[in-house]
Amino acid sequence: MNAKAIRRARKSVQTIGVYALLIVIAVITIYPFFWTVITSFSGSGGIFKFPPPLWPTSPTLENYVYVVQNVPLVRYIVNSVIICFFGVAGSILVATLGGYPLAKMEFPGRDFIFGAILATLILPNEAGLIVNYITTIKLGLLKSGPGQYAAIILPSLASTIGIFLMRQAYLAIPKELLEAARVDGASEWRIWWQIMIPLTAPTVAAFAILQFVAFWNSFLWPIIVLTDKSYYPLASGLLDLQGQFATNTRAVASGTVIAMLPILVVFLFGQRYFMRGLEGAVKQ
Amino acid sequence: MKLRNTLIAYGFLLPALVLMGIYTFFPIVFGTYLGFTEYNVITPPRFVGLENFRTLLGESYFWSGLWNSIRYILVVPVIQLVSIAVAMLVNRQLPGIGGFRTAYYIPVVSSFAVVGLMWGWMYDQFGPVNFVLKTLGLVKNPTNLLLNPALALYAVMFVTLWKGIGYYMVLYLAGLQSIDRSYEEAALIDGANRWQVFWNVTLPLLRPIILICSLLSTISAIKVFEEIFVMTGGGPAGSTYTALYFIYSKAFQDFKYGEAAAAGLVVAVVSLFFSILNFKYTRGGQIS
Repeated sequence: MNAKAIRRARKSVQTIGVYALLIVIAVITIYPFFWTVITSFSGSGGIFKFPPPLWPTSPTLENYVYVVQNVPLVRYIVNSVIICFFGVAGSILVATLGGYPLAKMEFPGRDFIFGAILATLILPNEAGLIVNYITTIKLGLLKSGPGQYAAIILPSLASTIGIFLMRQAYLAIPKELLEAARVDGASEWRIWWQIMIPLTAPTVAAFAILQFVAFWNSFLWPIIVLTDKSYYPLASGLLDLQGQFATNTRAVASGTVIAMLPILVVFLFGQRYFMRGLEGAVKQ
Repeated sequence: MKLRNTLIAYGFLLPALVLMGIYTFFPIVFGTYLGFTEYNVITPPRFVGLENFRTLLGESYFWSGLWNSIRYILVVPVIQLVSIAVAMLVNRQLPGIGGFRTAYYIPVVSSFAVVGLMWGWMYDQFGPVNFVLKTLGLVKNPTNLLLNPALALYAVMFVTLWKGIGYYMVLYLAGLQSIDRSYEEAALIDGANRWQVFWNVTLPLLRPIILICSLLSTISAIKVFEEIFVMTGGGPAGSTYTALYFIYSKAFQDFKYGEAAAAGLVVAVVSLFFSILNFKYTRGGQIS
């Protein structure tokens, strides 16, 4: 065997090793989801057994029917959709507006404001939850239906990451473009709306996905702040479901699958933007 | 003209400043003040000086919780090392590599509500984790890992690790891809082996990202709460009770907001201390 063949053989052994490792890690990250899906479709028999089943025992949809009939699941889903829609739209508006002067205008206090916004990423704020709870009560937000949604959304609307991402995106837009528009007498609002927003659309998309995931997944704040469970988003409702049907793992598993599905769809279709948004957050 | 410009700039910033003022900056100030008061939401806060801190000294649950939160920092070096290793593993051109990256990222986009429930099942007495441990001969009589006071905290830590790896992997991947290949190639030509290149070239160049990542994960380790809330509720026998759990139950179960805020201040100081330590150990993220 000549040297070239040896090198090629070594290379392919290495590639096989890499794939083996990649597959092992993938099994560890995916298996809990796989187990949950299987359980949600299982009709009967023990769920916990050695070895764990690789296919639903007597496959059925009845667990899904059961949760939909016994839990206000549809209501939770509607709540989640409302929270996500206004939460994502609102946080995009706040971030796209706020990032613009920080990137492209000169005014006293700019660097201080930007520094203060960034500092919130590191400054410990362990009592934040308590004070925000008090603020929510004092604002009287829990007295009406729309108010309850607002109570959930408002604290997360101004996103530091979002303002930072938008500022970075605006900075990349050439100065000449802006100056030409200003010379032509365009107002800052028009420049923002007609030049800045269209040119930063990919970043806006990335941030939108980031926020969608965050709003869809948040469960703790609604549980703390809401007294009326009928305004719970799906993730909070899921935990309530676990409390009620702790012994019916199959039913809880189907609720879990339903809670996971929209995230997976959005993430798989938008992951290119999503990853870029995440990377943009570290690259200065 | 200049004044007009300034007003317009602040007009753009207004929504962000108002919301952050109410929900981010005000809590820092008011939360600090609350720590020195007695408060029940209904009547105005009553200043009590250091009374809350004195009460805290006698609360054994607070100290064991704080100790568990500090122990939770053990996750940080593990999560960073594993994430760097995984990032290097997926930082190559191979068919299907994008699919693997996606698979590793799915836990990151899942809610802790979902993740906590799933891992509760994984750790069941006859669940998949015990099946693996038994097959490997590591346990003889399987028990639910979350009900074992000696193991529960580590079991929850593993879930934090499992959910976090994908996140830091993406950040490290971005870092690795921004490294100029010529540094590594030059070292290889000079006769360094792969390990030396990694240790002496790649790792120092990653230092700014290592700083960001370990800082973020240290801060969230001390604040660990969601996974514990969903999976163990602080049990069994207080073995997974953390500092934030103490704050949560003081405020929202005992309605002692002043004492909860005081506990929050102590945790904030501890958190700052570990952040500074982080800066020191990564040499402020400086490359050389």
